[in-house]
Amino acid sequence: MEPVTKGKADGPQWGPRDAMTLLNHNLRRVDGPEKVSGRARYTHDIRLPGMVYARLLLCPLPTAQVELDCSAASKLRGVFAARGLGGKTSMKTGFLGQPIAVVAAETPELAEDAVRAIQATYKALPWSVTPEQALSTEGGKVKDNGNLGKPATEGDEDKFKKAFDSSAAKVEGEFHIPIQHHCSLETHGVVVDFNGGETATVYASTQGTFTVSGDAADALGLKASQVTTIVDYMGGGFGSKFGLGVEGLTACELARELKRPVHLMMTREDEFLAAGNRSGSIVKLKVGADSEGRLIALDGDVMKLGGIGGGAFNKPQYAYSLSDSKPPSQDEESGKPARPSKDGLHTSIRSLYMHTDSSRAMRAPGHPQTSFPIESVIDDLAYQLKIDPVTMRKKNLANEVHPKQLDRVAERIGWAKHPNKTAPQEQPDADGTKTGIGFAVTIWGSHGGAGCECKVAIGRDGSLQSIVGSQDLGTGTRTYVAAIAAEEFGLPLSACTAKIGNSNYGNANPSGGSSTVPSLAPAVKSAAYKAAQAFLEHLAGVVKRPIEELEFRGGSLVDAKVLPDAKEEKERKAGKGPKALMTWKEACATLGAAGISGEGRWDQSLTHADGVHGAQGAKVKVDLATGRVQVLQMVGVQDCGLPLNRTAVESQLNGGMIQALSYALHEERVIDPALGLMLNANFNDYKLAGCQEMPEFVPLIDEDDIGRGPIGMAEPAVTPGHSAIANAICNACGVRLHSMPFTADKILDGLAALAAKGGTK
Amino acid sequence: MSLGDRTHVSRRSFLKGAGGVAAASTALGAAQAFASSPQVERMSGSTEIELSINGEKRKVKVEPRTSLLNALRNHCEPPLTGAKLVCNQGSCGACTVFVDKKPVYACMLLAMDCIGKPIATVEGLAVDGKLSAVQEAFVARDALMCGFCTPGFVMSVTACLGKNPKATREEIQKFCSGNLCRCGTYPRVFEAALEAGKQMQGGK
Repeated sequence: MEPVTKGKADGPQWGPRDAMTLLNHNLRRVDGPEKVSGRARYTHDIRLPGMVYARLLLCPLPTAQVELDCSAASKLRGVFAARGLGGKTSMKTGFLGQPIAVVAAETPELAEDAVRAIQATYKALPWSVTPEQALSTEGGKVKDNGNLGKPATEGDEDKFKKAFDSSAAKVEGEFHIPIQHHCSLETHGVVVDFNGGETATVYASTQGTFTVSGDAADALGLKASQVTTIVDYMGGGFGSKFGLGVEGLTACELARELKRPVHLMMTREDEFLAAGNRSGSIVKLKVGADSEGRLIALDGDVMKLGGIGGGAFNKPQYAYSLSDSKPPSQDEESGKPARPSKDGLHTSIRSLYMHTDSSRAMRAPGHPQTSFPIESVIDDLAYQLKIDPVTMRKKNLANEVHPKQLDRVAERIGWAKHPNKTAPQEQPDADGTKTGIGFAVTIWGSHGGAGCECKVAIGRDGSLQSIVGSQDLGTGTRTYVAAIAAEEFGLPLSACTAKIGNSNYGNANPSGGSSTVPSLAPAVKSAAYKAAQAFLEHLAGVVKRPIEELEFRGGSLVDAKVLPDAKEEKERKAGKGPKALMTWKEACATLGAAGISGEGRWDQSLTHADGVHGAQGAKVKVDLATGRVQVLQMVGVQDCGLPLNRTAVESQLNGGMIQALSYALHEERVIDPALGLMLNANFNDYKLAGCQEMPEFVPLIDEDDIGRGPIGMAEPAVTPGHSAIANAICNACGVRLHSMPFTADKILDGLAALAAKGGTK
Repeated sequence: MSLGDRTHVSRRSFLKGAGGVAAASTALGAAQAFASSPQVERMSGSTEIELSINGEKRKVKVEPRTSLLNALRNHCEPPLTGAKLVCNQGSCGACTVFVDKKPVYACMLLAMDCIGKPIATVEGLAVDGKLSAVQEAFVARDALMCGFCTPGFVMSVTACLGKNPKATREEIQKFCSGNLCRCGTYPRVFEAALEAGKQMQGGK
């Protein structure tokens, strides 16, 4: 990669990294003080005069004919409304937990009473809530033309068979990946501020400030321009929170009927049943490699389990590419796919539908599900061929970034000194445990798109504001919206106020697919550049110098020709500032009452669309007596172009590894097929990794990625961790797990099976 | 987390009817039958109580079944929404407040059980707008992302260091194991707690 940072020669440029004062540094979040003091107001926290609390009733069966009688509930004192959704009293439901009725009452307690007082009768219809039911002839039909969707296929089965037969090492496996939940701590919901007038405000816990007003306006009988959406703070989304949703639509309808503000936040149980999930999968893989460790044959048969939705899955070979099956010639450099070829590839991906709520996007949709089977198989092949799993990966990775990243992870985790690279630890340690290390990689195509419109405004009072409607999911958007603008003038971060989360501000893209940074950062940069240019032009007139001779340095207006010398640099770092033509305050004081501003839109030249890469490693300890897996360390390397805030990038990388650890060891939606009930729709029974399971995390930004503008990286951080843990478990004790989560019972079963085969124990 | 020494009516046992107050009938069938009888238009009643919150006496209108969390968030005027409603079952710690100087899950306590006891919430930690050492360290160490679990973690860490400012990472992990975070701030929370502990010992 060229060591240049993109931008237009005669327009905004990110400039060299070593000249940056805020970007590429460790920044404190600008909203930290609000969040630690309880002052940050989330949608859940909005309280308005005359506001009523609404609550949904969900269907307790997977599919049923429902008859509703809400008359008793409506009569309760303090209850303002109790009715079926859409005003219906009779309906057929299609998934477990489908919302069927809503109530609104003076207090949350009264709303709870009202929900309980709804008399509903349910006539159960034949259902399918597990893959077994959905595939059996007795299971209820989710779709008219059967529960199994049409497969998307690639490749030729006969060619695969030929390549597989000729393989030196072969592995076959069936992998089961459960449905995972987003578990955003703030549930889905809205507060609608409407009193029957001409305007309304919708406070929404959403990943898309601009995905709400249109539908809300329809439901309220208003025009979109009459509805303001506010997303000041939001408590996590992870892909599940786009659009108004049935809960938001219902709240708007109630507000219109009652001419009162309505607060409708889903309960935790509602959230588990009716607010989306990461689809599960059943994956059958057959993979063959030649004696050099090059993948030459892969057959992947995938069923996606996304409830009534389609589910998500990537290419079964994921970040790896197959080589052709001819033996490599002498002069071929190892460490790269010999000759990329899809000859031995045959894949089939389809959906299996069930009577559960639709899967939604969840942090890197499809990628974690895809990662686990292929990364497991690669290790199995490496063990068969006695090839170091890191080397094995390098031979097959489709791009040139991953090999270097793998080396960095291997170095940091202590791979060189690790004694057992292609076989489990022979003898347990004195405490009855064995230790292993595993690796996996991640890819993501994060690229930005047009849509963002930012305004950077300078006031006569010395204020600097960076204004755009975007939401901050907790990734740190608010902080870089301020930092990019402050950096343009050489001002400290505290000098700029970011105003975000409001649909009356400039448009912003919804935050999905790690696209916020590459869509938003260029727009902020452009706006800051234009504001600076406009301000310089104004000041040129004031100081009667050509604009070419002026620039901002350390917040002050300086002579651009006078390069900062070492002394000045020292003074600037000591906070004294360079010799200035005008200080920031003086310069701003020359402005009119309206101040001066610049508006910027997305600019392709300020970001890159060629994707991001990462590699992760995990070190685990397996207790042979109890089957307990303890993760000791996780190391992640991630590229992201220009890091806008290094601290925030590292926090995202930590967060990805932690969610992957939780996915690996604990998370699973459990539904009783006979009763059609979800058994763990709460935080007691749906286990999330907590404080005591946290190992050491080593989040590393890929320092080789120096030539690119800022690119999103939050999604890929979640993809490889659980696969690395699976490989580490196998490396420790020899148990290859094919089913997530990796609970103690599965480890013990695996150890028993190994012992029965005469393996080590 | 301790619920205090006094004989205690938990929200759960109360809901099962053990509290002996006939106001709330909660079994689904019973509620339906109760509500559908023609005379019934009220299933519960509320009364005004006085709570001592962050050193101030506050009049709060609650029902016998109202949790301390709901009292703070929905029945106080102005409301105290720093403590968050997340799991409503004592699993996640996002609603952690102090009652009688001990950290408790506000979702698991009845408001009425807190009459006469000092209640402290996250809103009361900063003095004259100056963040506490724990809050300051959370900001400095990026121990927050979406921020929804943060008030609960700040309270738990404050309680942990109040007992022992020299707490090790392992002791902090154990003490805070009743708090959940989904974004993955845990390692930064531990760093912040260690940093705050140092500050509290005199900035060594």
